[in-house]
Amino acid sequence: MQRRNFLYTLIAGAVGAAAPLHARATPRVSVRFLRPPGALPEDDYLSRCIRCGKCGEVCPNRAIKFFRFENGLASLDTPYIVPREQACILCMKCGEACPTGALQPIEREAEAIMQNVRMGRARVDRTICLSWQGKTCGVCYRACPLQDVAIRVGRLEQPHVLDACVGCGLCERSCIQIPQAIRIIPDHQRKVV
Amino acid sequence: MRRTWQRHINKLRWVSLSIVFLMLILLPFLHLYQTYEAAHAYDLLAPDEKAIYDAMERLTAPFVSDPVTDLNALKGTTWSGTLFGLKLSDPLAVVGQSAAGLTIYWPFLLTALIPIAVTLVLGRVYCGWICPATLIYELHDNLAAWLRKAGLPVSRRKLDRRLKYLVLAAGTIIAAISGTMVFAAVYPPAIIGREIYYAIAVGGFGAGIVFFILTLAFDLMVTRRGFCRYVCPGGALYSLLGRFRLLRIQRKVGQCNDCAKCNVVCQFGLDPLRDGFGQECNNCTACIAVCPTDALTFRVAFKDQPFQGPGHLGHEYRRRQENRQADAHSDPGEAA
Repeated sequence: MQRRNFLYTLIAGAVGAAAPLHARATPRVSVRFLRPPGALPEDDYLSRCIRCGKCGEVCPNRAIKFFRFENGLASLDTPYIVPREQACILCMKCGEACPTGALQPIEREAEAIMQNVRMGRARVDRTICLSWQGKTCGVCYRACPLQDVAIRVGRLEQPHVLDACVGCGLCERSCIQIPQAIRIIPDHQRKVV
Repeated sequence: MRRTWQRHINKLRWVSLSIVFLMLILLPFLHLYQTYEAAHAYDLLAPDEKAIYDAMERLTAPFVSDPVTDLNALKGTTWSGTLFGLKLSDPLAVVGQSAAGLTIYWPFLLTALIPIAVTLVLGRVYCGWICPATLIYELHDNLAAWLRKAGLPVSRRKLDRRLKYLVLAAGTIIAAISGTMVFAAVYPPAIIGREIYYAIAVGGFGAGIVFFILTLAFDLMVTRRGFCRYVCPGGALYSLLGRFRLLRIQRKVGQCNDCAKCNVVCQFGLDPLRDGFGQECNNCTACIAVCPTDALTFRVAFKDQPFQGPGHLGHEYRRRQENRQADAHSDPGEAA
């Protein structure tokens, strides 16, 4: 093949590869990840984010990682959090650093955080949870930055997740069971911020 | 003849490129230092982490009181970053993002105003003076020159320079259709900034490094400085913005000797020898530095000069002069 032809083929290939991007804009279910706090709903997020990586650079907890191809081409180089590995401490520095508002700036204050942060919501698997098995634990409750508002414990420290949970993942990070009995169910697909 | 000071500007440019590149290497280490500091766990650090901590502490201690918050004034890359508290972004990021979202997000547009203003006045200076990929591409070009000298047929082709405007337009359209920022994945300075960060602070390279290596291969095998000249969408945008720049390099025809060193050295394949600078000149001053007779200088002007003819110190000009004189002597009407 002539080099010129090769070049044109490359360009055509690049254009063709970009076409199914939109179809992939919704994340695959197999990858459970959170967007950093203050992130817009997934489709808006992907069109706003410029992949500058500043959110990760200001994260003092090194919770923010960056996608390669795991979540499809559209998510390339976008930030994500796997709470079991390193959870968000809700310092809100990423929203402040984000130049495009893909991560909204949110004040570091309980009221504002509960209102605006929707990374996901914790769910307890009672068949794994120690407290629900009768062995008093309560670690998730102790780890929660929004105790008694986002999570409440009953008899034997059995956890109940409440509506105010923002999905930071500190409970999942700290759960002493393997596999973890409490997980964050991501909330990418919500319609309103 | 006393030589002009302007030929030293090129050295200043290399200093500028190196500083930007070193900053991109330093920033991930500063981030690591911040995370160690935030964790309050110096004793638990591994020896190499302690070394990073100590070095960064020594480096920043005179300037900051609380590294965890104060060092956030210096973040990001040339794609979008915070420089001493001032948020700056690449105009291409604004174009791509506006297209992807089909809206203009004003706070983000504002961060690109300073780069845009600088480009309007000074032209495509980002490409020659700041871009972290330029540093690598220019060193890579020197490698290609050596290989060429050794007899290898490297980067000989010429393509159409308008291709990159097509890439800019296509990228914008694809961004608008797909709703995703596509420039970030194919724009070398953005890739370099990210990949350095990944390599140092995250561990391992990302996907972009593959693309960047492909561009290096393209430069080496197909055409000299090919990506910047023919493909780069950012270069296209900066060229358009710098079209009516105020500061231009111009040729003093009276001092030019037609040696063509300027054309050889020009990274963007322009034609200083025949006054062909155009919107794509990035004021890198490599041609000024190489000119043996100081025929190239900066001028303040909105437009390039049209071709001024052969240089007055060159053979071609002298030959024409002699021909003209010979004609004058042989012409009977003139003699009478």
